[in-house]
Amino acid sequence: MFLINCPFCGERDQSEFKAGGEAHIERPKQPTELSDDQWAEYLFMRKNIKGVQFERWNHAHGCRKWFNMVRDTSNDEIKLIYKMGEKPPTE
Amino acid sequence: MLNYKSSIIEDKKYSGLSIKEISPIMKLNLRGKSRDFLSTIGKNINMILPIEANTSSSSDKYTSMWLSPDEWMIISNNIIDKENNNYEIEELLFNKISKTNLGSVTDVSDQFVLINLEGESVFDILSSGCAFNFNEFMQKKGAVTQTLLAQVDIIIHHKEINNINLFVRRSFSEHLMSWINDAASRL
Ligand SMILES: [Zn+2]
Repeated sequence: MFLINCPFCGERDQSEFKAGGEAHIERPKQPTELSDDQWAEYLFMRKNIKGVQFERWNHAHGCRKWFNMVRDTSNDEIKLIYKMGEKPPTE
Repeated sequence: MLNYKSSIIEDKKYSGLSIKEISPIMKLNLRGKSRDFLSTIGKNINMILPIEANTSSSSDKYTSMWLSPDEWMIISNNIIDKENNNYEIEELLFNKISKTNLGSVTDVSDQFVLINLEGESVFDILSSGCAFNFNEFMQKKGAVTQTLLAQVDIIIHHKEINNINLFVRRSFSEHLMSWINDAASRL
């Protein structure tokens, strides 16, 4: 159990949130020009690393808004939370 | 056809807690973002929607609760006519907001059941089934939050000190009420 600081509602229990997978995956501009392998890469392949990961989360039982989170998957330490549409930190 | 038979058959009293359903109450869900949306609502119902998170605002007739940066719920402060499903302000807002594409107005009067909990043990009951930190909330009249109580989605409005309005979806209300009664009997 840990707390997540929703950018809209403030600090809430983790049970109010749903994880939404890897963040910043861009839809290919010309899907018709991709091979099946490239399309599958975009559609299905997600990182599952031990360490710092960029993720999308949803405050499902609160304001129902999506946001981005940088989380260390090995110890659940939340490094950063930022809104949808904002650029990921380069560091 | 909606079944109006409430699962909350009688008012309940425990030490430091009394529970009753308040019905019928008009409840409208409003969604929108633009400045025009906010000013149109303000003009037509004489009330400014709260912009600050987890707060509410009230006029003599209505209370509006912040649910999300672009979502609010407006309720009537008093009980409305049981035989009539038309609400003046729903029609007014529907014409001024929905029809002009400024946002959306949805009648959720029958979707949510309003349970009023009153007494010094209100927050003991809530805390026993909810991970939300009530320390600040219980000091602040008018505070609003959405969270989970016994794994059921709820909206809580802190009406007066130690007096809260709890909104729960109708299909979950029976389960939640039996949970509240069970928890209250162990106070
Ligand atoms: Zn939130």
